[in-house]
Amino acid sequence: MEQQKVDMFLMSNGKYFESHQITYISDRLSQLDDSKFVLLQSVNLQNPTMILIVSLLGGSLGIDRFMIGDTGLGVGKLLTCGGFGIWAVVDWFLIMGATREKNFEKLSQVMV
Amino acid sequence: MIIKKDFGYVPNDFESERASNSYLMSLIALMVGLPLPIVNLIATLIFYLGNRKSTYFVRWHCTQALLSQLTVLPLNSVGFWWTLSIVFDSTNVTNNYIGYIITIIAFNITEFIATIYTAINTRKGQHVEWWFFGDLAHLICKR
Repeated sequence: MEQQKVDMFLMSNGKYFESHQITYISDRLSQLDDSKFVLLQSVNLQNPTMILIVSLLGGSLGIDRFMIGDTGLGVGKLLTCGGFGIWAVVDWFLIMGATREKNFEKLSQVMV
Repeated sequence: MIIKKDFGYVPNDFESERASNSYLMSLIALMVGLPLPIVNLIATLIFYLGNRKSTYFVRWHCTQALLSQLTVLPLNSVGFWWTLSIVFDSTNVTNNYIGYIITIIAFNITEFIATIYTAINTRKGQHVEWWFFGDLAHLICKR
């Protein structure tokens, strides 16, 4: 893939990944075929800040976990009312990292 | 009691943020869970489990946070149930009780300040080791 396209993708989506993953993503995207660019644009990446807001408001119902694709954990959180409030508090600190990891997993599936 | 040490490598920004969060989270859980003494321990344990596949720096600081909370739990639990027995039962307030409560309040305040100090310095990427807990964390946490 052209370096210009890689830079454009990273400029618009860099905040959705951990800082240490950016170099790896940049290298992998450079090696990708140009035909994958459209597929890359269609990946549904979640905004970590938005998920954090959802976690603050609806964390005790597990909505944040459902949104990032952790359905099992979401059901667990919903049934226990956010782990009796404790899990909901812990997730305020974990959810942004978890969202970035999920985004990286989604991108990795396209980059294969 | 609290010493800044060299960790062997310089942690990334995301590592220092997560490590610092382990201490911050225990403080928030302490405030949310008061007066129950076990809430912050459970919260720190969940955070530790959530980061068990993370880097060595993050795991090490999660372990240190967990161990510090583990020590506070028995002291606070005794104080909590002793107070309940005085409020709901016919037990009298004794000098021993007052002495014990003053001791655990002093212990908790010290732990609270130490946790805030560690959270601030860990966020800057500095490695902070507590007396006794640091050595224990080295034994428990493998590279």
